[in-house]
Amino acid sequence: MAIQLVRQPPDQATTATAPDAAVAQDALTFEDVDMQFSDGTHTLDGVSLALKPGEFVSVVGPSGCGKSTLLKIASGLVTHTGGSVRVDRNNLGYTFQDATLLPWRKVRENVELLMELRGFDPTERRRVAQEQIDLVGLTGFEGHYPKRLSGGMRMRASLARSLALNPSVFMFDEPFGALDEITRERLNDELIALYMRQGFTGLFITHSIPEAVYLSTKVVVMSKRPGRIVSTFDVPFPYPRTPELRYAPQFSELCGDISVALRDAIEK
Amino acid sequence: MAKAPAANPRLYAAVPRATQPSVASRLLRTLLPPVLMGIVLIIGYAITRNSLEPHRQFLMPDAYGLWTQAFGIAKVRWDLLDRSLTTLTIAIVGMCVSIPIGMILGIVMFRFHVMEKAFFPYLVALQSIPILAIIPLIQSALGFGFMPKVLIVALFTFFAIPTTLLLGLKSTDRGVIDLFKLQGVNWLVILRKAGLPSAAPALFAGLRISAGLAVIGAIVSELFFLAGRGGLGQMLINAKMDFKYEQMYAALIVSSALSIGVYLFFSWLGNRLFADWHESGGKSA
Repeated sequence: MAIQLVRQPPDQATTATAPDAAVAQDALTFEDVDMQFSDGTHTLDGVSLALKPGEFVSVVGPSGCGKSTLLKIASGLVTHTGGSVRVDRNNLGYTFQDATLLPWRKVRENVELLMELRGFDPTERRRVAQEQIDLVGLTGFEGHYPKRLSGGMRMRASLARSLALNPSVFMFDEPFGALDEITRERLNDELIALYMRQGFTGLFITHSIPEAVYLSTKVVVMSKRPGRIVSTFDVPFPYPRTPELRYAPQFSELCGDISVALRDAIEK
Repeated sequence: MAKAPAANPRLYAAVPRATQPSVASRLLRTLLPPVLMGIVLIIGYAITRNSLEPHRQFLMPDAYGLWTQAFGIAKVRWDLLDRSLTTLTIAIVGMCVSIPIGMILGIVMFRFHVMEKAFFPYLVALQSIPILAIIPLIQSALGFGFMPKVLIVALFTFFAIPTTLLLGLKSTDRGVIDLFKLQGVNWLVILRKAGLPSAAPALFAGLRISAGLAVIGAIVSELFFLAGRGGLGQMLINAKMDFKYEQMYAALIVSSALSIGVYLFFSWLGNRLFADWHESGGKSA
């Protein structure tokens, strides 16, 4: 089911990320953002980052450097203590480290949840949910409880739940970190297919450099706490990206460069 | 550093897998231990009874006596049924008082941390008051009717409800709450759609404890209320005064059956409600 998804219309989808989108206003901007928690922890130190519409930016950095805090600030779950953030919070998708499905709801009801909370009409809810379930390859599992799904399938359901609102900016907080390598690579391909199809702006937090490079148009490296952006790498490979890319020399070379930058950021 | 010692390989032969035991043999294996234990208990009872001096053997009636003096008499059977219903009514009405109040208190403590700080010590204090010791006071204040018994049951069953509900609400997944908050919904929606469902299994464990205590509370409350038409507790005391120990044993057996029945009912209900999604309710035991 997943394979089929990856092979979905690439030519039609590439138009979504066409360069003409870049002239528009930035989709998400952090300007000189500072974060100091009430217990005194200084988490972010003057982070500036702008995401053009249709860009897919990954953030890598040492654990505890405040990567996740960036997303919490953008969504409003925590409020930053310095600088400014510019974002449309009504059209924001947010995927957490865990699938955070409600265990007492079946897959379909879980995918409907956000629409339900936003007051969508029940028949519309049902229709969109089915569409998203088909899109992430969970057709036939609508009536299953999360307990009976594998980790990868739970994450797909979680993605479908966010996609149902058709967000313009989609933030991912290490969504595939807990999955095994094979499932993870497969979900990477599926995410690329979804990205090409929907044309959202992506902000992706991860620990894995290959994952960051494989998915993104741009990779940002953060320092250890208090987190700053220490370097930025553009990823030149065209979409759709296919698994063969992982073994291309240019791919390894870029991963190597980012790895060096990350090691510098940790040791400094 | 020492070098690794040389390996000394041995041969391990395969052991063919035993075939699946038949249904009959599995049934035998599950039923045999409790049945054997039951036989041991009955033999122990008989030995103890026979070691008593004959004039004290009335303390441990035998099966023949239980039948001819209690269960075999239609009037006694009706009496047991009727009194069971009375006891059960007291227990149920008592829980109808303690469950809503307990749940509201649990929710309030969850919503307002200051309320938790204010109430929790007194909840623990309430739990540590020996309720038996205040029954005379309740009688003096409220008389000998139905309501004081209900109050006693409510006191017996109250503690487990707000505490388990609060525990359950507090263990709601942070991520789920964040997810709800991001949609801009108010606190009541979060409580209804995230908090209460996720706290339900914990609350249910509390209810199961409370239900068992409710039957015990109802029986205990009647030990102190001998006026009027009462339940099983009154029968226990009356049987003692009338020297009908067979009937006392009959009332004891029915009381235990009632308690076990209520417990089994809540176990069954919990399994039905949560087996599909909660770890505690596995479909196969």
